[in-house]
Amino acid sequence: MNPSIPPSTAEYGGDEVSAIVLDPGYSTTRAGFAGEDTPKSLIPTYYGKYTYDGQEKLIFGDDVFVTPRPGLSIHNPMGRDGIVEDWDMAEKVWEYSFTSRLTGPKPGNPLQNGLNDTADSELPTEMEGVETEEKPLADSPLLMSEPGWNPTKAREKTIEIAMEKWGTPAFYLARNGVLAAFAAGKASALVIDIGASNLSITPVHDGMILKRGVQHSPLGGEYISSQLRALFKANTPQPISITPHYLISSKVAVDAGQPAQAKYRTFPPEKGPDPSYRTLLEERTLCEFKECVVQVWPGPNKLSATGPNGVLNEDLAKASPGRPFEFPDGYNQVFGVDRYRVVESLFDAKAAIPDSESAFSPPTQVQTVPELIKNALNGVDVDVRPHLLANVVVTGASSLLYGFTDRLNQELMQMYPGPRVRISAPGNTAERKFGSWIGGSILASLGTFHQLWISKKEFEEHGPNIVEKRCK
Amino acid sequence: MAAADVRDMLDLPAEGQPRPLKKQKVTEKRPEGITRELFALLGERAPPIAINENRYKGRPKWMSKLRVRPWRMAPFENGARSDGLVLRHWQRQNEPAKPALEGSEMDVDGTKDEKDTSEAVEKDYMFAKYNVRARVPNRYTDEEYNRHLKSDDWTRQETDYLMDLVEEYDLRWVVVADRYDYQPHPVDAETNTSALVPAKRFRTMEQMKARYYFIAASMLALEHPPSEMSEAEFDLHEKMMKFDPERERSRKELAALQLNRTADEVREESILLEELKRITANEQEFITERRELYSRLEVPISVGNTTMYQSSQGLSQLLQTLLQADKSKKRRSILGPESAAAAPSPAGQTPASNAPGSARDSRADTPNTSAPATTTPASAAPTNKKAAAAAAAAAAAATKEAEKTVKTLTTAEEAKYGVQHHERLAPGVQFRSDRAQKLTQAKSNVQTQKLAAALAELAVPLRLTMPTERVCKEFEKLIHSVNLLLDARKVAEKVESEIRVLEAAKEERERRTKEAQEKTTPSTTTATTSSTKPEVKSELHEEDQPLISAEAAAEAATAPDPNGPSTAAPSAVATEGADAAEKPASASAGPAASAEGQEGTSHKRSASVLSNSSDKSNKRQRK
Repeated sequence: MNPSIPPSTAEYGGDEVSAIVLDPGYSTTRAGFAGEDTPKSLIPTYYGKYTYDGQEKLIFGDDVFVTPRPGLSIHNPMGRDGIVEDWDMAEKVWEYSFTSRLTGPKPGNPLQNGLNDTADSELPTEMEGVETEEKPLADSPLLMSEPGWNPTKAREKTIEIAMEKWGTPAFYLARNGVLAAFAAGKASALVIDIGASNLSITPVHDGMILKRGVQHSPLGGEYISSQLRALFKANTPQPISITPHYLISSKVAVDAGQPAQAKYRTFPPEKGPDPSYRTLLEERTLCEFKECVVQVWPGPNKLSATGPNGVLNEDLAKASPGRPFEFPDGYNQVFGVDRYRVVESLFDAKAAIPDSESAFSPPTQVQTVPELIKNALNGVDVDVRPHLLANVVVTGASSLLYGFTDRLNQELMQMYPGPRVRISAPGNTAERKFGSWIGGSILASLGTFHQLWISKKEFEEHGPNIVEKRCK
Repeated sequence: MAAADVRDMLDLPAEGQPRPLKKQKVTEKRPEGITRELFALLGERAPPIAINENRYKGRPKWMSKLRVRPWRMAPFENGARSDGLVLRHWQRQNEPAKPALEGSEMDVDGTKDEKDTSEAVEKDYMFAKYNVRARVPNRYTDEEYNRHLKSDDWTRQETDYLMDLVEEYDLRWVVVADRYDYQPHPVDAETNTSALVPAKRFRTMEQMKARYYFIAASMLALEHPPSEMSEAEFDLHEKMMKFDPERERSRKELAALQLNRTADEVREESILLEELKRITANEQEFITERRELYSRLEVPISVGNTTMYQSSQGLSQLLQTLLQADKSKKRRSILGPESAAAAPSPAGQTPASNAPGSARDSRADTPNTSAPATTTPASAAPTNKKAAAAAAAAAAAATKEAEKTVKTLTTAEEAKYGVQHHERLAPGVQFRSDRAQKLTQAKSNVQTQKLAAALAELAVPLRLTMPTERVCKEFEKLIHSVNLLLDARKVAEKVESEIRVLEAAKEERERRTKEAQEKTTPSTTTATTSSTKPEVKSELHEEDQPLISAEAAAEAATAPDPNGPSTAAPSAVATEGADAAEKPASASAGPAASAEGQEGTSHKRSASVLSNSSDKSNKRQRK
């Protein structure tokens, strides 16, 4: 095939209209142009707030991690259940996600943009008027994603922001789960999405979610972090305290299990950042720990049970070689069976590590993955259940935990020995992390999709409630 | 050092290809980016270094001939939308269709076209054609609803809601059932506060389907009465009318059970399936084996000439060849110590103790007759005789012993178990049905056909369907009687033809005598005629009698004879009858021949025919 000749549009059904896909999450917000394979703009949903010279200033994007400014506090506009709590700030964060990288300010008319003018003319005031008229999304349709349990009010608010504040000519609100299923190339699937704050199961049939089957629980990445904190607190040689990088000025290599010998940076109380800043940075360390050490017991059976050979699974886990991890302050340790324990409660609520100070209440069995799947399947028609089981899509960054899909497979096979269970989990980490964004990118670049957009005209005619009618 | 030198030193043959040719090839292949000197240093076998030059490849030539067609951001409108939303996408700009001759004109045209394409919003969007919706029935009017579609279970509002939902989700029942959330109208609830307001209830998918199908079918029937429906419509109508929610519900229950089986149940099912597979495979195998067996059975029976084995000499020869074959076979196999010992020793020195073994061995591939055949005097060699005698003795002893141990069966039991006693068993395997089959083959083709015709008349199949012992016996009898009948008929035909000949001769004679009388005195003619007539008459009389008797005999023979043992009697009768028929015929032929002799030689042929048929009796008479 000659690369200089593009495929005719009919061949892949694509028709790109330079739509922007925005996939807001609890931990990160993804944005990019439809038709691309990864989001161009990936920013944390967290934003920083501090006062400088009596003025309140905001920090968006990756900059929040960089400088421990005095009084810097970290906030998140999203609630733990994935629903927006602070709409004003959510709007600003989302706007930053696409204006910073994707759209940017438009080049104005050179006669009026002030660059060619002398310093003290009265034009700047006029120019301001021009700028306020200019909306950030004036010529890009916007596709946004939402969790399956998003309430009507939140949906209406979203379209209002998109239409009125950003001025998008066309808008659509799609479900996370549906998009993740599309990213896996399936119109019907059982989507298991483990994000930072949530673990959700979404049955999708013909590109539409089955609301009665949608299940979610707070056992996401944050919950695993809380388990890790509990584990560190109860660590045997000595409790481990996480000291983020910004508090370390220098460190010395120490042997495994030996107390850290590092010089710490200290901030005077009035000059130091808010504790929420430290929490955010600790979370980054924990994230690294999750990526490097934490492992899901691959099964068969629970970690606390006996395996098929009659050997305790725990003994088997102990026999496997541990994994070392070095904390920012130089403390390092090899983690053996503990690295399985922290995530075991995703499958077995009894295995949760107790921690009275944790923000998370101890999980119940209903919140675990197998129970959620069972409930989700019980909520849908029996005829589609085998089909859903044959199309299980795993997505979300927390699903990248080592051995997660193996365990999931084992659990599903145990729960449903009859029907064929098939898990589709892309091996590419980007595809797993940005599953719903990629699905949105596919959807918004399809020629057949363009009839589904809610246009500005329709919004003006019917009001924000149109989103309930159109985005089913 | 080149590989060729190494080969020289080690005295290895040169490579397949002649040397000079290869060298030429190598020199020809020198790549572009390397100098000749450097390449010469590399020697015969170039090192595995990829020599590639980073050079701008340029565009292929054909591409420079192509016109550049610019892409532009073009607005478009989707025909599937009603609101006229204009979106923009990249599109290749259309070329101006005609190649203009004059430059100025072309320019003008080009700009115009461009303007047109940029300004005009595309009217027909390519993907608009995919905007298809499921066909849903026409909506009912109030009157139609009240007259045909009322239901106790469903209110009008809920029905409307259901129909809306079905239309919205394009008949995706899974989604419809999932989203179904009907709230009874608040106005209703307020007005009928006193009345029983049904609590919001859960509708199953089956209930929804039943309602929808009922409405859809009714609307279809209202539109076209069933008598005017097209076939597809009628099928649809039938299907929708026959929807049974109860059955659907029980089916789903079963499906849920099937889905929620335990691992043990699944395992058991898989085992059972495996078993089933095994059974079917076995059956298949059995069938193929049986088919193979049948195909073997249907191989034509070898009809070699056996006359050469009928004499004792021929038999002994056969035995010798078989023994030779046996021996050579043994010599070839050097496995068993017994066979190895037997092979070198000549046949004469085989110890007697070996004989039963060898006999057993030979039985495998030589016909069984070898043992009985040796007993025929003068044929067998002395050694074989000995061996055979020993074998026979051993066999006799064995049978005696067997007789002692085996309890004797009564005749009824023998019949029951199908025990048979044979005087002599034919060699090899043979089938009863084959024997029965052989009976139907006569010596001549005509005779065979006649036999077949006779059997067909009696509705007896040529090939026996159930060739049991008894049936075969009966069949044998039947064939025998049919043969007899055919023989008798043959004789009868023969006699009839004789009569015809004789009558013809008589007429001739009469004619001649008449002529003679006309020539001579009329008085003598009367005398001669009177003298000849009685003769002929007597002949006829005599001939008729045996004919009848022969026929009677044949009849007796053909008559089914259930009593078995009397087969010999009718045949004897028949032969007697035949003889009797012949005798008078010849007797009458005698005078006839003498008469002929008087009258001339014109009838010699017929006479000779007659005499041929019965020359024996003729002779007797002459004596």
